[in-house]
Amino acid sequence: MNAMNTVARTILPFPCASNSGRRRSLRKGLLAALRVSSSPVIVDVSGCCSLNQEDIDLLLDCVAQAAGRDTQVFFVAGSLANRVLLEVTRISSVAQVFNSVTEALAYPHMSAENDAKAQTANESQERWGA
Amino acid sequence: MGIHEAGTCAAGAFENPRSFYSSYSTRMPVLGNDILQSWIERVRKLGVQNLWLTSDSRSGGVARSALGELARQGIERLLVIKLKSYAEMDLTDLLRFHCERHNPVTEAQDSRGQLGVSLLDRRALRDGNEAHESSAVACGQIPYQFRGYAKRILSARERQELVGDALTEGCAMRPAGTQIRDKVWVGEGVKLADTVRLAGPTYIGARTIVRAGATIGPFASVESDCVVDCGTTVERSTVLPHTYLAPGLLIRHGLVDGGQMEDLTWGTVADLEPAGLGSRIQRRESRRPTLRPAPRETVPNAFSGADGSVVWDFAASSAASKPWLQVRL
Repeated sequence: MNAMNTVARTILPFPCASNSGRRRSLRKGLLAALRVSSSPVIVDVSGCCSLNQEDIDLLLDCVAQAAGRDTQVFFVAGSLANRVLLEVTRISSVAQVFNSVTEALAYPHMSAENDAKAQTANESQERWGA
Repeated sequence: MGIHEAGTCAAGAFENPRSFYSSYSTRMPVLGNDILQSWIERVRKLGVQNLWLTSDSRSGGVARSALGELARQGIERLLVIKLKSYAEMDLTDLLRFHCERHNPVTEAQDSRGQLGVSLLDRRALRDGNEAHESSAVACGQIPYQFRGYAKRILSARERQELVGDALTEGCAMRPAGTQIRDKVWVGEGVKLADTVRLAGPTYIGARTIVRAGATIGPFASVESDCVVDCGTTVERSTVLPHTYLAPGLLIRHGLVDGGQMEDLTWGTVADLEPAGLGSRIQRRESRRPTLRPAPRETVPNAFSGADGSVVWDFAASSAASKPWLQVRL
């Protein structure tokens, strides 16, 4: 996984691939990124119009991974329906959930590193989407 | 068709933007109570003997042709109740008001507007005006002002308000079950694990299973035949009948119907089923043939539910292409 950014924040798109092989690879990459990140991580779920059981499992894995390493993880729901699911699964009880990446980046705890955000987001998007 | 000696008959229409059978807003129980049944009881107190039920979903209006047909049958007065509200209304008082005013149409309304209850005279029936409500207002007729308890039940939010009021004695409706402790009611055959936490006011409907570590309440209504799995919390929410909720969930300010949840805060619907968080529990087909006969031999298309409530078989009426289901009270 080379989607990491050593600057203060990393934005990682949540894998929504329908192809199971690709999905497995993206899942592995996301968890690896969370494992090695020393800065707060924003997991962007807004690309997924709906969440299935595997998606929920992966989101819970993300939370567990971050908690185990004391890494801050934030989620961008992207839609109210996704936000409801994040609340129902209690993910929002252990990690901050935002409606958009912009909103997440404006969160006070992260505002110090805002200047690097756009570049990070773009790089991550390109790599995950490749 | 028998007609009450006072010449008054009653008809009920369902107003719902969604399909009648899949609707959860009007035909689903509220704390085990059937809103339609509560209206029928009020109609019965009027001494009315004939009731027609329809599931006309176009607008909840009564079709012009249907009104004309009733007028031809010699009906003097028609009470139309659209199932869009729960109102603790004395229909006798409405009838008295209507007769005193000599209005062709009398609409009942409260401070928030029309309640979907109206009385039509022979004149209005003969005219067969489908939009009788608006015409009554347009003609400057004085509506019947209802000042008692009323709650619209067409939205999940209003429905939840009714649940809250009924659980806190804010209205006359009471949970259909046994009170097992302060402000906690359960229906027949409920199974609660030892470690379940019940925070009143709360209601758990008949035959529902609540598994270990779950928390129900406050202000929660889990209706009949549901399963709430281990560790799940249901708070300030309603879970409609035959719903399964997976372990470890937090259902707060929501209305869950099978695999779907409407969030009352944001007014959005989330699909729980693909995420494996909730689903519809299939009804056991074997239950229906064992039902007792209808409580009144003259009630067609009605049978008793397992919990003793009357179930109106609109499917039978619909299959027979009959727009109305006639019930003798």
